[in-house]
Amino acid sequence: MFKKTTFLAAVAVIALATTSNLHAQKPLAFKGAKIITMAGETIENGTIVFRDGKISDVGTDVKVPVEARVIDASDKVIMPGFVEAHTSSGMSQANETNPVVPYVSVIDSIDPMNAYFRSARRNGVTTVRVVPGNSTLIGGQAAVIKTGGEFIDDMVLKSDAGVKISLRPVSGSRMGHLAKLRKALDEAKRKLDKKNKAKEEKEDKDEDKEKDAKKKGVKKKDGDKDDKGKKKEAKKKDDDKKEGEKDEEKKDKDEKKDKKDNDKGKKKKKEDKDEKKSDDKKSKKKDEKDKPEEVESELDKAMFAILSGELPVMIYCDKAMDVGQAMRLIKQYNFEASLILGRECYKAAKQVADAKLPVVIDSQMVFFEEDPRTKEETKVVLPKVFRDHEVKFAFQVGRGGGTTLGSSYFWYQAATAVKYGMPAEEALEALTMLPAKFLGVDEFVGSIEKGKDADIIVLSGEPLSVDTWVDMTVVNGEIVYEKEKDEQLKLLLNGEAE
Amino acid sequence: MAIVACVALPNTFADDNESSATLYKASKVYTMDGDPLSPGQVLVVDGKIKAVGKNVDLGGVDLGGVEAESVDLGDNSVLMPGLVDAYSQTPLSSTGMDEITSEVTLDFQAIHSIDWDKNALRRQLHAGTTTVNASPGTQNVMGGTAAIVKTMDHGETVLVENGAMLAAMCNDPASRNFSRSRPDTIYVRQPTNRMGVVWILRNTFDKAKRSTDKDTYTKLKESVAGERPLMMVSRMSYDIVTVGTLADEFGFKPILVGGEEAYKVKAELIERGYPLILKYDNPGTTRGAEGSELCWNNPGILAEAGLTFAIAGDNLLEKARFARRFGLDADVAMASITSTPAEIIGVSDRVGKIAAGYDADLIAFTGEPLELTTSIRWVMVNGKTTDHQKEN
Repeated sequence: MFKKTTFLAAVAVIALATTSNLHAQKPLAFKGAKIITMAGETIENGTIVFRDGKISDVGTDVKVPVEARVIDASDKVIMPGFVEAHTSSGMSQANETNPVVPYVSVIDSIDPMNAYFRSARRNGVTTVRVVPGNSTLIGGQAAVIKTGGEFIDDMVLKSDAGVKISLRPVSGSRMGHLAKLRKALDEAKRKLDKKNKAKEEKEDKDEDKEKDAKKKGVKKKDGDKDDKGKKKEAKKKDDDKKEGEKDEEKKDKDEKKDKKDNDKGKKKKKEDKDEKKSDDKKSKKKDEKDKPEEVESELDKAMFAILSGELPVMIYCDKAMDVGQAMRLIKQYNFEASLILGRECYKAAKQVADAKLPVVIDSQMVFFEEDPRTKEETKVVLPKVFRDHEVKFAFQVGRGGGTTLGSSYFWYQAATAVKYGMPAEEALEALTMLPAKFLGVDEFVGSIEKGKDADIIVLSGEPLSVDTWVDMTVVNGEIVYEKEKDEQLKLLLNGEAE
Repeated sequence: MAIVACVALPNTFADDNESSATLYKASKVYTMDGDPLSPGQVLVVDGKIKAVGKNVDLGGVDLGGVEAESVDLGDNSVLMPGLVDAYSQTPLSSTGMDEITSEVTLDFQAIHSIDWDKNALRRQLHAGTTTVNASPGTQNVMGGTAAIVKTMDHGETVLVENGAMLAAMCNDPASRNFSRSRPDTIYVRQPTNRMGVVWILRNTFDKAKRSTDKDTYTKLKESVAGERPLMMVSRMSYDIVTVGTLADEFGFKPILVGGEEAYKVKAELIERGYPLILKYDNPGTTRGAEGSELCWNNPGILAEAGLTFAIAGDNLLEKARFARRFGLDADVAMASITSTPAEIIGVSDRVGKIAAGYDADLIAFTGEPLELTTSIRWVMVNGKTTDHQKEN
């Protein structure tokens, strides 16, 4: 029976895709809903209108275009689609075999037909940052994408959304792991410094070309000792000889004259040298032009982008000790960084708080720790610890199972945080605006405001309630999920499709 | 003791020698004995529930010479009975639940293997489970008898010491035997497949039927005669059917445990009317134990078909919440972790309800019990509340 599931699901996805395409041009409106905008006020009995993939109007007194498809959403709650700041799902493979691969991109690996996306739409996630896994030292480049679409190009919102640096050694010691990391970074840094220096010098040269012609003669007296320099010396000797001959002709001249001649010779030498020097320069320049420009490898480019702060890094800290290492690395290499924290990192909560960086906490938000000596057990509640330290954090989902059955659902994580004291308002923020800001896409998604992307979810009731389901998911103004038509869900729930 | 209004926390450690009486006032009380009371009050005297009502008249009850302390649990506070887990191995020490050298160990008793200090047991207490039917494991065909105990008081309250017989009508005994390398080693023996499991069961029931030896088969004879509950662990639809076949042959009425694929054979189950204990592990995934095909709304489908069942295993509350989400009626979900399991395991006169004369096993919530955003404030067993779990 469950083999049927996959097939039906595929049909459902295709059906959804085609129907939604048909409506792509037509404006879409939802009427009569409670609209939680996450941009201040909540609108009761509100109307929202989408046009060309954007929110064109929202409020209580809204003019709906005549050509619009209008959906009655009374008794429903509409809120911005959720923004998941970190997942390694949705890819055909999350990790690379090679440890240093900042040049690869998840975009090449994202499979829009992956079950993750179907589940994401079903659970209200409309925007997600897909990030390489935690088993690659310097992983590939992450991308912020929408969860609706059949081809990756239609989904990408931001393609250079950072590179993952994982501080968890896959094999071997942490010393070796960090050494490998520093080696890669230092090597790139040397290259970058060299490149920058060369660039600087070149600029300097271009600027001071004329000045140089005068100055450098003095400055760089003993500068070049290449073949030409040697030739020059040889020529100099010849000159001296000639002068000597001349001197012989004027046999009876006194020492003073000799001296004078010597001076003359010296002077001439100097002139020669200057002449040679400018020759040198010319020939050197010619060489540069002839030589093919040194090609910067993809690895170098990516590493330079990381080191110059153009490409942000997400540092995965597996253990609490890694947080300190992350701070050192950030300081040393001036990363534009955010932290992806393993569950044990709560022990470094103060350090995390001081860093004031964007933080994504572990998916296992509630767990137990046993004292190895006394066997006394402590219950650890991550959202509580980090809130106590005033850390702003986003959630991520895990595989579920164990004691937290629902941790594979994004909204469930927020419900858990509320259970342990987080105000509901703050929890909803952590599902929408906060991660949108972390990802730098808050001008497009994260709240319901005029002009923002038409990414919303229609809920059957109050968010985070046990009975509430996502009835509809809209991405870029297109309905990409309808619970009513979710045949796979019906199969999973009831063992048979209706 | 004077009457104190608006005290946030109940009197935690009452002196054993001294009588104590506390009146708990909550915004809502799920008694599981009729409609919920809103607001509601529960009077606890010496570890027992003395009175329940919208307004308990203290003048009308005998408090044993003490004055009642009054505890107002405040806005949005909800009380419900402590949860009853109808089938669990959690209380057993990790080395004490499975006998693997013999397939039939009728006289083994779970009570002798309970590890009262086990962290996993404490977790279940803090998650709301107050009574548990601690059962031997399923690694051999007939594991022994279960014991019904409270989760808090280190064995002071044993409701049933030598209770239900456990039989495994599933692949567990066979899969263990099969996993050992070559079949000619001493580690491998029958059964190595389901036929073998059924054969050993049939053989044992048959021996018990014919035996005149009182000592060896007494317990099993009792089970067949209906004097002792017989729990049979079955998950796959065909195993559930086999349980029926054996029951017909030997004339016993088992309690079905597991039931992952019960939704597939609901018609048969309705016909037979066996009490059902659903494990309902990991709802939201597609495969359960033994590779059973999970249906997320298994409880909802069975309830709609008119079957009564308990939900069992660890994290009962979380399971009931997901059962609710996936389609089970909220009232049935609440009953399936309180009054129904108490009935199935035969302790419904003491636990599973908030009613006069029942054990004072309560859970205090910050909101509706089935909401995922609701947390537990405290759990009470026999009138004593849990000390707050060390939390970081």
